[in-house]
Amino acid sequence: MASKNKRRWYVLFTAPLLLIFTTVVLIPFLIGIYYAFFEWDGIAANPKVFVGMENFTSLLQDERFLESAWITTLFTVLSVIAINVVGLAFALLVTSKLRTSNVARTMLFMPYLIGGLILGYIWQFVFLDVFALFGEVTGLDKVFFNWLIDPQFAMYGLVFVFTWQMAGYVMIIYIAGLQGIPNEVVEASKIDGASPWQRFSRVTLPLLMPALTISLFLTLSSAFKIYDVNLSLTGGGPANSTEMFAMNIYNEIFGSGNYGLGQAKAIVFFLIVAAITLTQVYITKKREVEM
Amino acid sequence: MKFQKKSLGSLVLVLVLLLLAACGGGQEEGSTSSGEEGSANKITIFQSKVEISDQLEALAKEYTEETGVEVEVLGTTGDDYFQQLQIRLNSNQGPSIFSLQHAMEAEKLKSYVADLSAEEYVKDIAPNMELKLEDKVVGIPYGVEGFGIIYNKDLVKPEDVQDLASFRSTLENFKAQDINGFGLAQDAYFLIGHISNYPFSLQPDPTDFISKLNAGEVTMAQTPEFQEFGQFMEAIKVNTPTPLSVTYDQQIGDFASGKTAMIHQGNWAAGMLQEFEMDFEYGMLPFPLMGNDKLAVGTGNNWAINSQKEEGEIQAAKDFLNWMHTSEVGKKYIVEEFGFVPALTTIEPGELDPLSQAVSEASNSGDTIPWAQNAYPANIVPNDLTPFAQQFFSEDMTGEQFVEEFDNAWQSAQ
Amino acid sequence: MRKLFGYSKEILLVLLAIVFLSPIYIIFVNSFKDRQELYDNALSLPATFSLQYYLEAMEKMNFLSAIANSLYVTILSVVIIVVLSSMTAWMLVRTGGKLSTIIFMTFIATMLIPFQTLMMPLMQFMSSITNNLNIPMYNTREGLIFMNVGFHASLSVFLYHGFIKSIPITLEEAATIDGASKFGVFWRIIFPMLKPITATVMILNVISIWNDFLLPSLTLIDVGLRTIPLSTFYFFGEFSIQWNLAMAGLTLTIIPVIIFYALAQKHIIKGIGEGAVK
Repeated sequence: MASKNKRRWYVLFTAPLLLIFTTVVLIPFLIGIYYAFFEWDGIAANPKVFVGMENFTSLLQDERFLESAWITTLFTVLSVIAINVVGLAFALLVTSKLRTSNVARTMLFMPYLIGGLILGYIWQFVFLDVFALFGEVTGLDKVFFNWLIDPQFAMYGLVFVFTWQMAGYVMIIYIAGLQGIPNEVVEASKIDGASPWQRFSRVTLPLLMPALTISLFLTLSSAFKIYDVNLSLTGGGPANSTEMFAMNIYNEIFGSGNYGLGQAKAIVFFLIVAAITLTQVYITKKREVEM
Repeated sequence: MKFQKKSLGSLVLVLVLLLLAACGGGQEEGSTSSGEEGSANKITIFQSKVEISDQLEALAKEYTEETGVEVEVLGTTGDDYFQQLQIRLNSNQGPSIFSLQHAMEAEKLKSYVADLSAEEYVKDIAPNMELKLEDKVVGIPYGVEGFGIIYNKDLVKPEDVQDLASFRSTLENFKAQDINGFGLAQDAYFLIGHISNYPFSLQPDPTDFISKLNAGEVTMAQTPEFQEFGQFMEAIKVNTPTPLSVTYDQQIGDFASGKTAMIHQGNWAAGMLQEFEMDFEYGMLPFPLMGNDKLAVGTGNNWAINSQKEEGEIQAAKDFLNWMHTSEVGKKYIVEEFGFVPALTTIEPGELDPLSQAVSEASNSGDTIPWAQNAYPANIVPNDLTPFAQQFFSEDMTGEQFVEEFDNAWQSAQ
Repeated sequence: MRKLFGYSKEILLVLLAIVFLSPIYIIFVNSFKDRQELYDNALSLPATFSLQYYLEAMEKMNFLSAIANSLYVTILSVVIIVVLSSMTAWMLVRTGGKLSTIIFMTFIATMLIPFQTLMMPLMQFMSSITNNLNIPMYNTREGLIFMNVGFHASLSVFLYHGFIKSIPITLEEAATIDGASKFGVFWRIIFPMLKPITATVMILNVISIWNDFLLPSLTLIDVGLRTIPLSTFYFFGEFSIQWNLAMAGLTLTIIPVIIFYALAQKHIIKGIGEGAVK
């Protein structure tokens, strides 16, 4: 009786969201997988030809795609590290008892509100004019020049801007995590004579693990899906050196009109990334429980 | 038993939710479509030229006042117009009237484009300017547009850019004076898309040449027009600052302030030029590849009608286009409000800016070369040619290598 | 010495904030300049602080109707998201088992799918729902809200899930023994404890729904239904952008979000007094 009751509550609590989620995300995703086995230009009235696994085998020979997958991986690693380090530092700063922290919290978060074409405009301007000026004044013109037109540095430019945009975002999650740490624990460690660094690494950081898991995964998924910033800042250039994965797929689907191939690419990359990240989430979750 | 209960519960929930959604939605529909009697009383327009959205809405309002037919103009950001159109058409949410850039797009959407050949005003379209698909007219051009070299009349004389030799020495002179002789911009079409037209346009039959190129029967490297085009690009690269960090705004601003003597642009740039304070006159010259003395003139956008709509709606859409191109109000809007160089001979061009004037004159006299870009493989300009051009401008590459790489970029787009 | 350390932290914060805000400064000053002035110097203060471009932008954007639509869509979407995903997350945490793990993993795995690959099948499926079940998913704000809920479910469940795990289960067990229904337990005991994470979920969802362009542009057709980001399309031309109007429009768009954020963030931060009582 009790277990039946329990099950009813389970359904009642989860079904509404699951229904909406299935309709909006899962079913379209499955339709997309279905298309991956066809050669089709993406126009409903035009013929779809079943080609089996051909799209999957041909993407392995697509050098530009492999290159783009590699660039995306590199970009993701760099920005996940940068964003989380900066975001956590911000969170620690603004939760310490300061008069300016209220205002600072708002200001550090504001970049997240600027997107799209305007973001591209501002940063192109910063890289072109402000960086050049910096280079002239400091004499470091090997470091401060227009990063966006250099195939090597354009990627760092993207990481830079993406960190600027996202650091305030993960800051919020770290703040929520820091607030969950009981004051007594921190106070106790102070009394025990722990140095600020010890307090951070031995007390705060382990207790922040749940927030860290969340932030890592969030930045990872948004770095991996990056499109807007990519488009407005470099458009994939110069010479394809910053063509991230989502842009490569978008170009394949809507640019070249290879709908099936584009979907096949999306699935392959999704499977690889999902396998890696889900293992990571699974492992860290286990560890959290044990603590 | 357990299973039944569970599925029963979720079924009830599904029904409740659907009911809720239906009620909410139903009300909405009732409130927006009140007063609507038949499908032909309302048409929708989805088009890519954002600049005329405002004016088009005003024109639509005038049409509604005159005929009672409601015309809804949808919004777009231009960039992703075609993708959005594609999605709308695929999900049966297509507009009644949409815009197409060229025959490649019409071909892709061939099951959606209505035959407009029988429309009265189609015969008045300037020769070769209509959008055709298998001998049927499927698109009415917005207007004609042209591109070439926009030059500062205080700094450049037409005889300075007659051929490769004079072009090169002019650029060298400007370089010595610390003036940018020739400005391109970083955007795909302004960097390589438009300027790459010339060696194709100068072929006796550009479309035929492109199909031979696609089939691998000819290469650019062995075609004289391309060899010389490589020399032009080298002259530009050697004598001017890199265009890769120049935005369109910057390009126009530099020209308007006299920092750049010539830019490669089209008559659409006149609008932005007028926003700057300028103290010199300017005009448009042909790009002198192989001594070419004609402007490249074509059509950027065309009106098309969605053939998958119901008969009544298609007719209503045709009536609207007809009214736009034949009534006094419609003509006035095309010329004065949209600012187009009309593509119909029955529409008098109004007072034109110097660039549109040059395009209009060239178009009327027929002294033009065609836009070969409309026959390029789909999306090749942003997808393949732009990366290649960026490579050319950022790496150590000669004019000869430029042509070889051009060949490679073209082949990789196949 | 300690005081000095405190001051240096404040100065560091102010410097950081300035670096972070300088791009926003560029947006602000250039919303007052015409193209010539913008070209001449994008960093300088404008010659005049005339509200001309703001008024023009508001008029073109049909600002009042757009803000009403944005508020309606954002508020309803976020309320539904908060209610449904907190309930779901709680159940998933408290009822371990394979099924819960699979559901949870499905939620987070889908966060890795780029929206660009979903949009075409999504629109096709929505269109078939509209046609076959006669539920107008298209061109209604309610349809958009429905899709917003689906797309933001993963992130929200993920955030709640992580937080709920840290709440001791003993509290609930006591209440259950008292005879309260699950529903009662959740809303009276659990949900109030979720306040900090609810504030976080709300902030993140409000922003992404308020600023979203792509999804509403695909689903809303009538001019009267346009949300704020949709109504700024006039400023982004085929070749060029009217920067002053676009930046004025952007400023108008983000001001409500900033106010909301400034208010909501207080709920994330434990008050100093509250900390002292503990």
